[in-house]
Amino acid sequence: MADNDIKKVEPGEHKEVTRRQFITGVGGVGMGLALGGFLVKGFFLPEEVFAVPASEGYLLVDTKKCAGCETCMLMCSLVHEGVSNINLSRIQIIQNPFGKYPDDIAQQQCRQCPYPSCVDACPTGAMHVDTANGNIRTVDASKCIGCERCIEACPFTPSRALWNYEDKHAFKCDLCADTPYWNKEGGPGGVQACVQACPTKAITYTGELPVQSDVGYIVNLRNSHWATINFPTD
Amino acid sequence: MAIGGYVGKILYVNLTDKSTKEIPTADYEEWGGGHGMGSALFWDLVPDKTIDGFDPDNLVTFMASPFSGTLVPSSSGRTEVQGIGVQQYPIAWFTRSNFGGRFSGQMKFAGWDGIAVQGKSETPVWINVVNDTVTIEDASGLWGLNTHETQEEIWALVAGDKSVSDWWEISSSRDGGRTTQKPAVVCIGPAGENLNRNACLIHDAGNGGGQGGFGGILGAKNLKAISFIGTGSVPIADPAGLADLRLEIQDRFGYNVDNPTLETPVPALSGMYGLINGSPGYGPIMWTAAGAGRPQGCMGCFKNCRINTESGLGNGDQCVEGLYWSASGELIDQLAAVTLLDQVGTNVYDMVDAHPYLLNLYKMGVLGPGKAIPSDLPWDRYDSPEFIEAFTLAVANRTDIGADLADGLTRAVIKWGRWEEDTTSGLLPRPQWGFPEHYDPRLEVEWSYGSLFGDRDINEHGINWLVHWMPTVTAAVGQAPLMPAEELATRIAEGTGVGDPKGWDYSAEGIYTDAKAKAVAWHRHYTRFWKQSIGMCDWAWPMLINFNAGDDYDGATPTYEPLLFKAVTGTDMTWEQSLELGRKIWNLDRAIWVLQGRTREMEVYTNYVYDKPTDVPYFLPAIENGEWGYSICLGRTLDREKFDDFKTRFYKLEGWDSTTGWPTRAGLSELGLSEVADALDGAGKLGADGA
Repeated sequence: MADNDIKKVEPGEHKEVTRRQFITGVGGVGMGLALGGFLVKGFFLPEEVFAVPASEGYLLVDTKKCAGCETCMLMCSLVHEGVSNINLSRIQIIQNPFGKYPDDIAQQQCRQCPYPSCVDACPTGAMHVDTANGNIRTVDASKCIGCERCIEACPFTPSRALWNYEDKHAFKCDLCADTPYWNKEGGPGGVQACVQACPTKAITYTGELPVQSDVGYIVNLRNSHWATINFPTD
Repeated sequence: MAIGGYVGKILYVNLTDKSTKEIPTADYEEWGGGHGMGSALFWDLVPDKTIDGFDPDNLVTFMASPFSGTLVPSSSGRTEVQGIGVQQYPIAWFTRSNFGGRFSGQMKFAGWDGIAVQGKSETPVWINVVNDTVTIEDASGLWGLNTHETQEEIWALVAGDKSVSDWWEISSSRDGGRTTQKPAVVCIGPAGENLNRNACLIHDAGNGGGQGGFGGILGAKNLKAISFIGTGSVPIADPAGLADLRLEIQDRFGYNVDNPTLETPVPALSGMYGLINGSPGYGPIMWTAAGAGRPQGCMGCFKNCRINTESGLGNGDQCVEGLYWSASGELIDQLAAVTLLDQVGTNVYDMVDAHPYLLNLYKMGVLGPGKAIPSDLPWDRYDSPEFIEAFTLAVANRTDIGADLADGLTRAVIKWGRWEEDTTSGLLPRPQWGFPEHYDPRLEVEWSYGSLFGDRDINEHGINWLVHWMPTVTAAVGQAPLMPAEELATRIAEGTGVGDPKGWDYSAEGIYTDAKAKAVAWHRHYTRFWKQSIGMCDWAWPMLINFNAGDDYDGATPTYEPLLFKAVTGTDMTWEQSLELGRKIWNLDRAIWVLQGRTREMEVYTNYVYDKPTDVPYFLPAIENGEWGYSICLGRTLDREKFDDFKTRFYKLEGWDSTTGWPTRAGLSELGLSEVADALDGAGKLGADGA
């Protein structure tokens, strides 16, 4: 099989797609502009390359509006795990207190990749596309054997697939589809805890597939009121 | 016993013998957290309360609270620091400081509700806490580094990379936890190493634990830094309830950045206007990001008052930090000046009034090359960045005039023989305990009375935002006050539970009333518990009146504090119980001050407070000529006799002996502090019941 000869895979059959196929076919798209050659190759691939149904929802962040308060992280762990622990948050905020704006704070949310390398890498189907919840890429903890291949496979740094060292299984952003400690309805079509909790309203939700690049998951949410308090809107 | 909020243990470190031990948090849970626990630990672990702050036996506590590391709005990131100070005059009281950021949160994630440090190392060390693993590390390679360099070095030592950007394993075990975060470090700079009495603690860029001189105290212990990184969880009694409360409070009382209800009418003054509406980035007050920067917040904040700049200078600095020096007129110089101050680790609050005062002495011919107070610093170029750099370094390094100023401006002025003259004329407005004037002590008296009956400038703004800043800011932008004075006072009276609006009447007579005494006492008790023990940020709590919801002015206080406490800990705490616990902590502190030498006679201000009339407009609600209004309070002094009488009534209200100001057995026993009464009795300093 040629490197770019990716067959169509239906949900539930994703384990048939090899790691090599992922990297050459779609992972390059996910990794963005840095791998321009792969991006071009991806451009010419047939529609079948999107072998799993796209997620019906995505998180976008305004990298310049985030205040680094980590409220999203506290909220994420609270509603999902019932505890407060930024290390168990599915969105990670990383900051350098001495850094220069806008490079001082980075927001690392899961991209719900169209062709998710984490799902591809999972040998048991634990990491899967949840067709009952808007095709989110998420973990069935009961199937997770703790191999961490999903974490290794995630092309982003830090990995958006995480290891829950307390409960001993992988986990990742589910757009709040499974939030046992929240009184709101989450998931695609519902609301997301980080979006709701962000005090600067720097995270938003979209049902549209973002352009598959770093900038595709960035959005400018700053209006004229932001300028009134002397922060940039460009 | 609580089922959430606490993580179970307090770390005790003895630097003399390098031993450590765990103290069960449950042993101190009755004190709530933070300050209450710190005072109780100090009481138990320091038999001689009269030791000097530099004494190795001095215990320094860094306490988190049940709210640290949780989603409680603007209550997750504060750390309360306590111990015998070295800053105040004439006696350096048992005192407190407090800093924001993420230190207390990381402490909790590492599994600790606080750390208490005692003893003195023979050589420089730093304390490294990674979850349950505590090591006392050699700091010889860190000694001499500034506060920012120190933290970067520790990040590299602990995480293997000072620019952490990926998950890193916190232990050799896969299930030992992993994080993307940098260790949270509090440290001292050269000022602390030089045992300066105005040396502060610095965490991250601009979080400073300034008052008390704890930087110098850590320097005396040869303790360069404390680092925490953790991957554990903080249990929450009612997670869904806490999530709901967070969103509700944020929605009702927060500033809606996309569609604000109350927006500054003058964008250039958005920082000042933020004192009313809490808009992001308002912390520096007098300067803004000027179009290039972002707001930045402590862990879990819903206001995010600080600013990260495109230069990286001034990150995290707010309030008086951002106002350290601005003589050049260039913001970048101003930011560079305060950043240097952060890096050397000097308390801005002891220096912000120092260089203007010293410039006056220079102009008077008293100070300068070959003068009575010799100094070769470039005073003739006061408005140049070169001046403030030289001045800042001189103080930190004890060179030139810094040799005196490193012991604090107050001690320097006393040494120079100018204290009486300059605090009488008002040239040096330092009203109590050697601290600079913060708000006018002749007028805004819950601040000045609270400071005098306590141990330091109280630095508690919950009332101040409303009574002083709201009418001041609205006047500055050409608006009418957002609420009539009588309604303002009435709402505060109702929100606090004190009941009588006259508690917030700042007229020439209103500042001596029994209603005022009750208002001052409420302030002491509320802040001791909710702010200093439970870690609720001074810039957010209490929320007695809300201006961000149109005509609905109801504040979050007193409804939400007990609800939040219940959601986190699972423990019912009524408003009245919380204030009573605050009173208990306040009384324990008072007992320590009495053992240190506090007397009624000492609780007086410097002369200018009584003798120099106010001469600039200062807005406060007041009943004048029978009508409520916002007075400009001109020509006012504090009356010695009336204040003395007020003091008598305040002592009685607090259950203290009105002739000495000392707590009594009856009063202490009522609070469950009989053993404290025994200690005072043993020292011959127990107040007489009924006196």
